[in-house]
Amino acid sequence: MIAELLFSVFAVLAIIGGLGLVLARHPMNGAICLVMTMISLAGLYSLLSAKLIFVLQLIVYAGAIMSLILFIIMFLNIRKEDLPKEEWRWAYYLGGIVVIAPVGLLMTKAVKALPGSEASIMGNGFGGVKEVGVVLFREWLLPFEIVSILLLVSLVGAVVLAGKRRVEQ
Amino acid sequence: MTDLLLLLPVLIITSGAILLMLLAAFENVRDEIACFGAMVIFLFGFCMQLFGLGQGDARIFSGVFNEMLVGNSFTAVAGLIITACGFFTCLSSHTYFKQNRFITSEYYALTAFAASGMMLLTMAQELITAFISLEIMSLAIYVLVGMHRRNIKATEAVLKYLMLGAFAGGFFAMGSALMYGGTGSTKFAEIAGFISANGFFASSILVVGAFFILVALLFKIAAFPFHAWVVDVYDGAAMPVTGFMATALKTAVFAVFANFLILDGGLQASWVEYLFYIAVFTMFGGNLIAIGQNSLKRMLAASGIVHSGYLLIALVAFTSRDFTANVIVFYLAAYAVATMGMFAALSYLSGEDEQRITFDDFRGLAKVRPFSAAAISIFLLSMAGIPPTVGFMGKFYIIVNAINAGQVLLAVLAIVSSVISMWYYLRLIITMYFHEARDDFAVAKSPLAQATTFFLVFCVFALSLLPVSV
Repeated sequence: MIAELLFSVFAVLAIIGGLGLVLARHPMNGAICLVMTMISLAGLYSLLSAKLIFVLQLIVYAGAIMSLILFIIMFLNIRKEDLPKEEWRWAYYLGGIVVIAPVGLLMTKAVKALPGSEASIMGNGFGGVKEVGVVLFREWLLPFEIVSILLLVSLVGAVVLAGKRRVEQ
Repeated sequence: MTDLLLLLPVLIITSGAILLMLLAAFENVRDEIACFGAMVIFLFGFCMQLFGLGQGDARIFSGVFNEMLVGNSFTAVAGLIITACGFFTCLSSHTYFKQNRFITSEYYALTAFAASGMMLLTMAQELITAFISLEIMSLAIYVLVGMHRRNIKATEAVLKYLMLGAFAGGFFAMGSALMYGGTGSTKFAEIAGFISANGFFASSILVVGAFFILVALLFKIAAFPFHAWVVDVYDGAAMPVTGFMATALKTAVFAVFANFLILDGGLQASWVEYLFYIAVFTMFGGNLIAIGQNSLKRMLAASGIVHSGYLLIALVAFTSRDFTANVIVFYLAAYAVATMGMFAALSYLSGEDEQRITFDDFRGLAKVRPFSAAAISIFLLSMAGIPPTVGFMGKFYIIVNAINAGQVLLAVLAIVSSVISMWYYLRLIITMYFHEARDDFAVAKSPLAQATTFFLVFCVFALSLLPVSV
């Protein structure tokens, strides 16, 4: 019962955060809304007994990454007059809704067809560091390894796109 | 040993990319050295891939990698196309960047990283591996597109591509999650097993997941409703990068598309009706866009949409697994040879800062540079599908495949579409041959792009003699 209540609270908060991120005019408000979504997601993970992911979500996403994003927005020092005039924003909202609505309907249909199940705490250390590590290195070794290439590419890419150039003419 | 041989090309390209990345950090490693390094790496990878060609069908290191990678003749040929495209891209980049000075030495490392992502993508037998490989490839390509930071068109292109690509990536991730929810596995083999046991429509969440993944893949190949980005992005990128995107990226994504769609007859049969319309609209929509273009790059981008349409026909008209796979890789190779040659030629002919890019700029090219004009004409005729070029054979196999599968209407529409496409291919030939030259077509003194062009002319004829088992 409590689990269901918590689920509803976290789910609604996550959706409100997501809406706020899209609708907020100032990037700072948007970022704060994103923090809210991240924390609610952490709550959802904890309901699924995913301990490690719960902790990682809080420390890495809601903590480290979001504070970096907030710092960057603060560095940019965006004021109201820096924001672009969005005269047609309502038209964009309307267009967005028209495009998204069929996909949303499809999703609701699919989710409704799912069998319901009770949320209960999984035993045997499910979701702990050791268990996740064992699964990661035994079954998901290849994706784990190639993610390092992905990170390398994004690192090089950031340097190329934003770094200082040696040969700039 | 077989496993290692099959994996070796990917290992070579990836470690080569890391090596190039490290070399780029040194002050006295100029981009020319990086270019030659990248050529050696791609050539070496190509040769190793040739060894892997006859190694049969194997799940690579199935114990350690948990059956997530597969190596067979299909992936090997796709790997050959990708490494060859990488090699020719390096050759034409050498000339191109003599005339357009905005290169950094990381360029070649990123090209190699993109190629390694593409090769992993062709071999992936599992959705998460496919997703990560797709992102490795896409991230490297985003950066290559935005290489020219001072150019407003390149900035626009990278922004558009990044935003829309992120959207497609999100769709792919969401689709994988839903497919996992529906079938309990992300492995292609187990998903196929689930579908053949329970039917495709047994789980609605599986249907939605498959739909999302198809959306992401259709976006990447620029098929009909998701084709709008491709013209602007190709236009904004540097010539060799555009060539690389048009050929190697398309090969990789089509390989994973075929792997995913043909994994089970039930999955393919459920989507075949929609794919029919998508193929038709992709062909004719692409033709309409191509006819209206004045810039060569934009015309080639739009003609790339049309060629995606022909390849979709091969996926719709699925006869036997082997033959359809052969048809797809043959067409990909045919398209890659002509397109790569075209972009290699444009890489040196476009001159300083890409000053010659419209149809009018190429007036009378045949009077000044008869061999280049002849080479371009041969590539264009191959793309249009005139015998005895490889493009004709590719289209021939696709149409035979469609008729064998009972899709006669689709075969007829493909022929109509290729007749329409003559309009814009012949337009360039007429411009080159039947007008007086006003330009002296001065180009940089680096013979590599020219050499690539003429070697690919040879390939256009040589590959058409290659037999495909029916």
